[in-house]
Amino acid sequence: MWDAIVVGGGLAGWTAGIRAAQRGKKVLIVTEGVGTLYYFSGIFDYGDLESLRHLPKHPYSLFDAEAIDRGKHFIQELCPEYIETNKSQHALTVLGTARQGDLMPRSMVLPNHQEQGSFVLLVPEGLKDFFPEIVVSNLVREFPGWQVNVKRVHAENFGEWQRMGKSASGIDYAAIWRSKEGQNLLAQEIEAIKREHQGAGSRSGKIAVVLPSLVSEYFDASRTKTYVQDYSLPVIEMSSFLPSPHGRYFAEYLKHQFTDLGGELMIGARAAALNGKPMSAKQPKSCQEIIVQSMGKVLHLKAKKFILATGGLLGGGIKVGIERKLIQEDVFDLPLYVPQEWSTSQFFASQPFAQIGVETDKCLRPLDTNQGRVIWDNVHVVGRMLAHWDPWTQRCGGGVSVTSGCAAAEII
Amino acid sequence: MDVRNELTARLDACQKCNVCTAQCPVAKVNPHFPGPKGLGPDMERFRRGQFIPGETTLDDCSNCKTCEVTCPSGVKITEMILEARRAARKGPHKTMLSLKLRLRGYVLGRAEYLGKLGVLWPGMANQALKLNLVRWALDKGLAVSQKGPLPAYGRPLEVIEDKGGRAGGAFRKQVIYFPGCYTRYNEGDTGRIMIKVLEHIGYKTIVPNFHCCGLPLEANGQFDKARKNGLYNLELMRPYLEAGVPVITSCTSCGLTLKEDYPKLPAPGAQMIGAQTYDLFEFLWQLHEKRELPLDFQEVKACFGYHLPCHLKAQGIGTPALRILRLIPGVKIRNLDAGCCGLSGSYGFKAEKYDKAMKIGNPLFEAVNVGVERGDFQEMLTECGVCKVQIQHGTSIPTKHPLRILAKAYKIILE
Repeated sequence: MWDAIVVGGGLAGWTAGIRAAQRGKKVLIVTEGVGTLYYFSGIFDYGDLESLRHLPKHPYSLFDAEAIDRGKHFIQELCPEYIETNKSQHALTVLGTARQGDLMPRSMVLPNHQEQGSFVLLVPEGLKDFFPEIVVSNLVREFPGWQVNVKRVHAENFGEWQRMGKSASGIDYAAIWRSKEGQNLLAQEIEAIKREHQGAGSRSGKIAVVLPSLVSEYFDASRTKTYVQDYSLPVIEMSSFLPSPHGRYFAEYLKHQFTDLGGELMIGARAAALNGKPMSAKQPKSCQEIIVQSMGKVLHLKAKKFILATGGLLGGGIKVGIERKLIQEDVFDLPLYVPQEWSTSQFFASQPFAQIGVETDKCLRPLDTNQGRVIWDNVHVVGRMLAHWDPWTQRCGGGVSVTSGCAAAEII
Repeated sequence: MDVRNELTARLDACQKCNVCTAQCPVAKVNPHFPGPKGLGPDMERFRRGQFIPGETTLDDCSNCKTCEVTCPSGVKITEMILEARRAARKGPHKTMLSLKLRLRGYVLGRAEYLGKLGVLWPGMANQALKLNLVRWALDKGLAVSQKGPLPAYGRPLEVIEDKGGRAGGAFRKQVIYFPGCYTRYNEGDTGRIMIKVLEHIGYKTIVPNFHCCGLPLEANGQFDKARKNGLYNLELMRPYLEAGVPVITSCTSCGLTLKEDYPKLPAPGAQMIGAQTYDLFEFLWQLHEKRELPLDFQEVKACFGYHLPCHLKAQGIGTPALRILRLIPGVKIRNLDAGCCGLSGSYGFKAEKYDKAMKIGNPLFEAVNVGVERGDFQEMLTECGVCKVQIQHGTSIPTKHPLRILAKAYKIILE
């Protein structure tokens, strides 16, 4: 018997699992594969908290300001490289445009647009899905006062890849930059850039090196030898294409934090249904166990609380049948809020289907959409599965997932 | 009806997200390997058009199943690759493995026969395998790496026939033990301890004269022989399965084969074998949940690192050994979860794969070494025999089956 079973291994699931384990609870995370964190940019978006909190039914309206702050502190304690300032912060996208973000690693924060200086874009040879020409043109446009130069860097680890004409992924490059030899290589390249600029008598003193696939956070000193290399120039990390190095290393880091706290991960297993009985005719039901499909066998896993963190339409938590004849939440078969019209004609406008999800009370317990009654007393819904929000136009995906994950863990 | 299962049976569940390739231990170290997505779902399209690729690239897959547990859409990637290997064997193409490599596949696939030979005179077999000349000859003659950590042979585990008459008769509490070739021929002690542990918790153990589960045969391209072994073993188990007797495995790869492959065999026991097979600790946990596991543990004051074998991860049952061992007072365990050890059965024994296997294991070796240097633990635990051999080979840190800690807590063994 676990204190809680979390279904789903994305950001909300890991947050709930780790926070509950920190509180001394026995927690099991059941997940079919690695979650959507592998597509994470490294940046948490919280969105315009004040206005979103006043939107009727928005997940933020379920929490007070303190709960939202607790989520942010949770991330910063887990990963002290994440910083938040009063001013808005910007980071580079994979294409070299600047995008706003609310909580991001120190190493991703861009300098002020108003300043002047020069960027040197380091281009790792044969890095997959990286387009230096586009990045340069975007950097020039975004930072009119800045010079932009390019320098290629060759990592011999991928020599064989390059000779074959094969590209190396951002995740593989990140592994090099996190190793001792990779850091030495970078340090040499950066030192060379510094000397060149000093030699050329550059008009402005400020130089920053820009590098894709550098993941300088999420080091786990209990499993890896860590080398802290001080580079002679500031280095700015970019986001990367998918599957993203930031996502991969962050997910691994969360997994290790969770298991080191005594949590258990059951990967490769799919939660299929639940068993429970009503407490009484009028009261909400209590879930006793979930049914999980493991290899060759069905497992019945018992817990006091269950946290549903399976994601939404894109994450696989909500299934849609052909011609939308069927739409259902995949594990608990919870009722869903589904808008009349699913889409609007403007592609980048807020799309109604984004609002599809489970409605809950303030304790994140699922509600019956007709009568507004709590269905399951000990089931809590977190992350993308919640109804009435749009992570894309409201830019609050990370914020809602972390806040709801933390809040659910506090109730366990 | 389960929509998802219907979907995953089809190739279209693959969304081309590439996470499997990002996590594939082989793709990381071998640029010639197209990765699970390329070799599995992508090439499956061509294979459906009867374009049958050669066996050599397919052979680079180590069958660790990391791609399958990684896939967020439940695509059976390794299964596709294995199917393709099966087809490539039969296919009329010109890129067949050389005679030497086919001969090696024949030998490495037969861990069982090697075991039977090895245990005839274990001392001599072990001495011979330590001779540089012998290892050189194996390398040159069979492309079996000179540096690979071939496991030593020991006193074999004895077969224990069912003397109690019909299955499920007089003894209500009995189990079938499927020891696997490694336990049977290389580490009989683990099997004997396991039988004592089961006896301590009130179960009588039967060890029928099983053949190899078939996994090493499949991994070395001997598909027909693997299937024959499966059918033979299932027939031996059938009366017990019908009487509801559980089948216990202590080797994680045998366990996976029984749960994943045997249910697909055309035999009467196939419908039951998946649900009735338990990893040892999975079985013990289920007893504990029913409050039937004796908790008469003595304190074991020790700290361990734990490596979760890929083929246990692929069973989708979590880490039951940690759940059980953490019930023992004094035991502290950290699950390193630092990826595949690289050996993958016999993969790392192959001459052209040895270096890659060691590179694959590097993050795990580093995690073990860092843990020991920090004083987090002094010893490693893992269920899989060859993972154990590889960890010791890569780190020199003593590594054992977690069963031994349980046996110590039950006062069955001293050390």
